Amino acid sequence: MSNLANGLAAGKGASISERSDIAVTHVAARRGARAALDDAARTAFGTALPSAPRVIEAGTATIVWAGPDQWLFIEKAQAGSDPSVKLAATFQGLASVVDVSDSRTLFRLAASGPSEALIRGMGIDFEHNSFKPGDVAITHVSHLGVMVWRLPDGSGYEFACARTYARDFRDWLGKV
Amino acid sequence: MRIKCPYCGERGNDEFSYLGDASVKRPDPSAADASDAFYAFAYERKNVAGPMQELWYHAAGCHAWLVVTRDTRTHEISDVKPAQDVALEQQKTASAP
Ligand SMILES: [Zn+2]
Repeated sequence: MSNLANGLAAGKGASISERSDIAVTHVAARRGARAALDDAARTAFGTALPSAPRVIEAGTATIVWAGPDQWLFIEKAQAGSDPSVKLAATFQGLASVVDVSDSRTLFRLAASGPSEALIRGMGIDFEHNSFKPGDVAITHVSHLGVMVWRLPDGSGYEFACARTYARDFRDWLGKV
Repeated sequence: MRIKCPYCGERGNDEFSYLGDASVKRPDPSAADASDAFYAFAYERKNVAGPMQELWYHAAGCHAWLVVTRDTRTHEISDVKPAQDVALEQQKTASAP
């Protein structure tokens, strides 16, 4: 995917790139363990986990709300040190931790505001800046499941979709 | 029709799938009339004209099951709650002395 995705321009001069060299881990709280999980997250990352559809930058990890009591942790991939193994140890007994790096593809749209494709093609409201920096939505695009979040610093948007649909989603994202 | 998911906010109904009456409860399989009760549980439904509580699944969103109170004549939605919260509340009421 990398050579397909990089450097192609989207509308309004924005650029789309595939994020590479990252580890993506899905974390789901065990029943009744949410408070203890937040304590463990505070110790390891300096923050409780978001309860609303928000994304937070927490040191070496980006933590994305992924449904009630679920999150994606996005970290830099490192040779010889698997971030999901580390997370499993950090959250031992408190959460189910699964490495989904190979099942999700992430794209970044560098843009100060939403592109035409987002405004016209997604079912959530992007107009009038209603999707704020740090906001997250889980939705679909032409029947493809996709997560979208706006980077907390307002410099763009990121998208996570199933790897098998990545080419189709990338084509859609570059339209308009 | 749009449904306000308690987790995601308001979304189009294309993101949801419908299961039906949320008031139906699985009968006790050890009861003497279990066979009849299971028949009713599986097949018999009221054809409500007015507000009813329904189970909806946010399939293309957060994957939560929701209890939606919808008027079947107007599609007006007066309440949406996570099904988990509704179930826990009912458990609490049932176990209260
Ligand atoms: Zn939802």
